[in-house]
Amino acid sequence: MVKVGVPRALSYYRYFPLWKTLLEGVGAEVVLSRRTARGLLEDGVRHCVDDICVPVKLYFGHLMDLKDRVDRLFVSRIVSVEKCESETYTCPKLIGLPDMVKGSLDGLPPLLEFVVDVQNRSLKSSARKLAGELGAPAPVARKALAASLEQQSRYERELLRGRAPESAMETIFANGNGDSSRREREPEKAGDVTIALVGHEYLIHDPFVSHDLPGKLSRLGANTLLMSQVPAEVIAAELDRYPGISWSYEKELLGAASHFLGRPDVDGVMLVIGFACGPDSIIGEIINREVRGPESPPLTTLVLDEHTGEAGVATRVEAFVDLIRRSRKHRRPGS
Amino acid sequence: MKVSFPHMGNAYIPLSALLTNLGAEVLVPPRPTSRTVDMGALHAPEFVCLPFKVNLGDNLRALQMGADTLAMVSGMWACRFGYYGRVQHQILRDAGFEFDSILLGRDGLLPVYKKFQSTAGGNLLRAWVHALRAFKRKAEAMDALETSARQRRPYERDKGASSRALDEGLAMVHRAGSLREIDAARGEALALVRDVEVESGMDEPLRVAVVGEIYAVLEPSLNFDIERRLGEMGIISHPVMSVYKWLFRPLKIDTSILLAERRARRIARPYIAYVLGGEEHQTITGTINAARKGYDGVIHLYPFTCMPENICRTILPRLESEYGIPVLNLCLDEHASPTGMATRLEAFSDLMKQRRGKRATA
Repeated sequence: MVKVGVPRALSYYRYFPLWKTLLEGVGAEVVLSRRTARGLLEDGVRHCVDDICVPVKLYFGHLMDLKDRVDRLFVSRIVSVEKCESETYTCPKLIGLPDMVKGSLDGLPPLLEFVVDVQNRSLKSSARKLAGELGAPAPVARKALAASLEQQSRYERELLRGRAPESAMETIFANGNGDSSRREREPEKAGDVTIALVGHEYLIHDPFVSHDLPGKLSRLGANTLLMSQVPAEVIAAELDRYPGISWSYEKELLGAASHFLGRPDVDGVMLVIGFACGPDSIIGEIINREVRGPESPPLTTLVLDEHTGEAGVATRVEAFVDLIRRSRKHRRPGS
Repeated sequence: MKVSFPHMGNAYIPLSALLTNLGAEVLVPPRPTSRTVDMGALHAPEFVCLPFKVNLGDNLRALQMGADTLAMVSGMWACRFGYYGRVQHQILRDAGFEFDSILLGRDGLLPVYKKFQSTAGGNLLRAWVHALRAFKRKAEAMDALETSARQRRPYERDKGASSRALDEGLAMVHRAGSLREIDAARGEALALVRDVEVESGMDEPLRVAVVGEIYAVLEPSLNFDIERRLGEMGIISHPVMSVYKWLFRPLKIDTSILLAERRARRIARPYIAYVLGGEEHQTITGTINAARKGYDGVIHLYPFTCMPENICRTILPRLESEYGIPVLNLCLDEHASPTGMATRLEAFSDLMKQRRGKRATA
């Protein structure tokens, strides 16, 4: 069986169930890179240009981790993910990802490129191409794609219920066996404050880069809401008020932020962005200036990069939670 | 109506002509300086790309001068530039300024066309036709002058003479009013540059292509006037882009520009398969072409955190070895210094000279 390596970075958090089911469906064995650790990140930083954002450096680190263990490397090229009238894109770095990998890393096993460009090309044709490269015939590809789309929507349903990506993946890959024990553990004792996390999942859910931000919040006794919990219709409705954005993932950030900032049960919103992230530098500003109003709950921005220290994140998160608790104490007697 | 817009090289010359002919008063902010950048950086998001900060500084200065309308290009692309106008104008309004926005490309052409109804006086269509003709004539004059000074500079006897002639010539074109005056000014200005005394019997100067993000390549205040610096070091620079091309590309009337764009995309395709929204195809193709034409090197300029150019930056080392041409990557932000730039250019020039010497003996 061909061993195909999938890096645990960038689009992994969003689409891994799709990738995995598809690859296995066309007869490949999927090898996932190890979890991010210091050495892996340093490897990525060494092999990547200096001033690019940390998620891309991480991606390179994960590729380096895989390259000696697999026959092929799976690299996604995500160009457009929305079918709508106006043109939409993802971040240029996601569009040019395979180009960057090909252009700058030597000694890699051959790449297996998967193009997601729903505005110009069907997923079916991308899947057929992928299957062709692995030597599987078209009907097999069709079946595998159908199965993987189903798996992906199961995954997205889990995310909507508020699961973090990796625990949601565990559930769906366990085929319904292993999930019950986990689900019982999930509703821990409810915290007294609710904080919404808005930001790219590849930052928030990489425990090494975000210094386990969701875990930190729950240890501080806060409930966390994730962006992936907001249904697409809600985001679309919010976006009607903020038109004219063409980056699909940033639209989600903007819509989710607008939704959370207008919800009475949300006590605070944390905007998590990566240093040097191009789209977020603009969207962060739009959220701060156009979306946030005088009545909105507190909003704070946490910028992460490979130099961010654990203590720095802990201090800011603690301070944010403390401030929310304190302001509530002051407000309550008056109102 | 007192209109202003951010700087982009000498684009203010044709743009002023356009707006003046539409009856608007044009306020050109002073050329960007470190003060402009500081003013912009104070209000801009922390790690937005440098052109955003410079543009914002330009706008702030224009508003302080009394501008009541700010114009900016706008669009929905993969690159951040399309959102500049929207976010900058919001920042300025939050800072307490009141003004009217013209976001060209966002609301379609008609509102922009009608905006000048009150100022144009008389026939609006005729005013637009005349304004566009003056715009084109001045843009062509500007381009001709820039090209001619660029070619002259490495050979000049008195260092800085071509640049002085260029500045004087551009001022003449800028002052000219009617079409006839523009043509006369163009002729006179070109003669000024042509009259710059040159050194005879010089060695063949080094040739470098200048590629990268368009604003970093074309705005002298951002790149510390790299074209002039190179020229005065005795190096001929070939920027792959020009303000003229930048102005006329979206108008789609000059077929040579459109064909060159398509060609560039085709040549760059093996390295960058999809459109990234910036000048990535010009960067890749410019580098390949420089090698094919036998230039001595390539200088790649880009603002810190620029997305499309960062992708090019990862690919350029491969082109360097595949095509055998040295590339100097210069990343610019508000902390870049002219000394740092000068040192690197000198070192790069030495490297190119040595390479040329080696090739001659081999």
